[in-house]
Amino acid sequence: MRSTAWLMWLGACAGVLWTTRNPLYLVLALLCIEWVRASLVQRTSPSVLARSSISPARLVVFMVPLSALLNAVWTRAGDTVLFRLPSWLPLIGGAITLEAVVFGALNGLVLAGFITAFSVLNRALPVRALVNLIPRAFHSLAVIVSIALTYVPFTLRQAQAIREAQLIRGHALRRVRDWLPLFMPLLAGGLERALQLAEAITARGFANPGRGNLRLEALALVGLLLAGLGWLVRLLVPAFSGWGWAGLLVGMGLTGWSIWRLGKRIPRTHYRLEKWTLKDGLVIGAAVLAVVGLHVPLFNRASLFYDPYPVLTLPLFDPLIGACILCLAVPAILLMGDSPE
Amino acid sequence: MSQTPRPAARWLSIGTYILISIIGLAAFLYPFWLPAIEPSGISGHAQDAPVMTLLLIGLCLIAIFLDAQANGLTTKTIALLGVLVAINSVLRFIEVTIPGPGGFTPIFFLIILCGYVFGARFGFLMGALTLLVSGLITGGVGPWLPYQMFTAGWMGLSAGWLAALMAERKRRTTDDGRPILPSSVVRRPSSWPLLPLILFGALWGFLYGLIINIWFWPFATGPAAQYWQPGIGLAQTLQRYAVFYLATSAGWDVFGAIGNAVLMLLFGLPTLRTLLRFKGRFTFNYRPVQVVSGSAQLSEA
Repeated sequence: MRSTAWLMWLGACAGVLWTTRNPLYLVLALLCIEWVRASLVQRTSPSVLARSSISPARLVVFMVPLSALLNAVWTRAGDTVLFRLPSWLPLIGGAITLEAVVFGALNGLVLAGFITAFSVLNRALPVRALVNLIPRAFHSLAVIVSIALTYVPFTLRQAQAIREAQLIRGHALRRVRDWLPLFMPLLAGGLERALQLAEAITARGFANPGRGNLRLEALALVGLLLAGLGWLVRLLVPAFSGWGWAGLLVGMGLTGWSIWRLGKRIPRTHYRLEKWTLKDGLVIGAAVLAVVGLHVPLFNRASLFYDPYPVLTLPLFDPLIGACILCLAVPAILLMGDSPE
Repeated sequence: MSQTPRPAARWLSIGTYILISIIGLAAFLYPFWLPAIEPSGISGHAQDAPVMTLLLIGLCLIAIFLDAQANGLTTKTIALLGVLVAINSVLRFIEVTIPGPGGFTPIFFLIILCGYVFGARFGFLMGALTLLVSGLITGGVGPWLPYQMFTAGWMGLSAGWLAALMAERKRRTTDDGRPILPSSVVRRPSSWPLLPLILFGALWGFLYGLIINIWFWPFATGPAAQYWQPGIGLAQTLQRYAVFYLATSAGWDVFGAIGNAVLMLLFGLPTLRTLLRFKGRFTFNYRPVQVVSGSAQLSEA
């Protein structure tokens, strides 16, 4: 699937997780995200580097109880007292309430949802697809990121080679100071390679385009100023919240347009073009539906807001909103048809 | 390291840095000044405030990248940055695989030294891109990434300012024309900045944690004495943040600060010498041939 489709899906996940604190909706969203992740794990093989990262499932199991525990220990709100810690204990002494446990668990669910959603993106998109997302206007920065990403495995191999050479000479890594004979050749060698690389890319005709259109750059700055002002108005003057939104959106639009225009003068070639497929359209449509569905006035929007304080109540559930959240699972359904890599 | 810009471009660059500093500071520190202005204003936007702030930080990064790219990059600096970012990302990868104690990370050491040697703009790019690339390879892309990039960028930027400050101090003389610093120190530029750099590294060990915490602190819940609430005054906000920081993060950041200082002490001087040795080779540049009254003249910048 295209990187745009995955980004839209990620945006929808973030939108759902940010909008509601209803545990039923949160669990539903988390199950959808986890299903997508599990489908990806079955069908893709991550890079050696990505394999070493911590499993999101382990994070979820760890995070929800930890967040519940911390909130229960710190917070004194809520009417249903489970037990009391001795009052002589500094900061944590007092009543432990069921409401505080639930509120903490909800925060943990949201956090776990975010981390899992981002881990799906990290797994679904190869690094080169993420680099491709850098706008054309940041041509030179994209080259730096590409060089760095290309050199990371090389630098790892180089570090290993230097370490083996030092071991043969009887040098063992016991203290922090012992790392110096490993680090210095790595740095000096890297700098030498950077010089050779600079000559090579110059010889191939690469040059930083430098400052382009001053007006467009100034316009991007004006957009940033407008967005900043809009943000301030929205925070400080609730009565003019609409103006704040307008400033923010116009500013962001202006900056985005300027960057798009600046990027137009930089040609980009593709070895292999990403093609739009029906799957991309379905994922994007589902993502839009998941977010827009939460804001349809016809649905029971009150069910989105849930506060366990002061007494725990059962959360409401609107099946229509639930159906919208289920749209987050569309990539998993589409992945079922794919054969493993 | 940069070419001489046109006056309009120079003003645009200055404007960019001023605007980004103001917006960036406001976005990071707004819980501290907001209650003093309008206590009732924040409560209605508690849900979307993190999204808005994240977007704003993202825009600031875009603007600063645009300026840095236009002003400070030649093919040599592009290659240099790429390779240094790769080395630093490998250090972070090692740190993720074999975690160090507390908040210790080996990446800040190189960001500070690169900012110190190659200048503030280079330092900003080094900091921000290190966090971006290492985030990509370790699966650390998330809503926290723009904040990490911005803070690490500030670290490199301020290291460049530290170098400028120390160079200015070295140039300063007493009223009768004698240099303030002893001549042995002035003659050996690569050995004397170590103490300020050790202190600077230790300071940033704490500052990084202090700044990064702010992005989630206003939206976290916990004991009233440690967490922000709409409507509390500036003094109380500062007091609560200080208690929160001491209770949750200070112990963690002590390892970061000590780690930075130890790395600077043990590896600082040889690394600084190596970077200074290569600096001349990377800043060396040719200007185009100028034809003066029929004869060609090749000038060196």
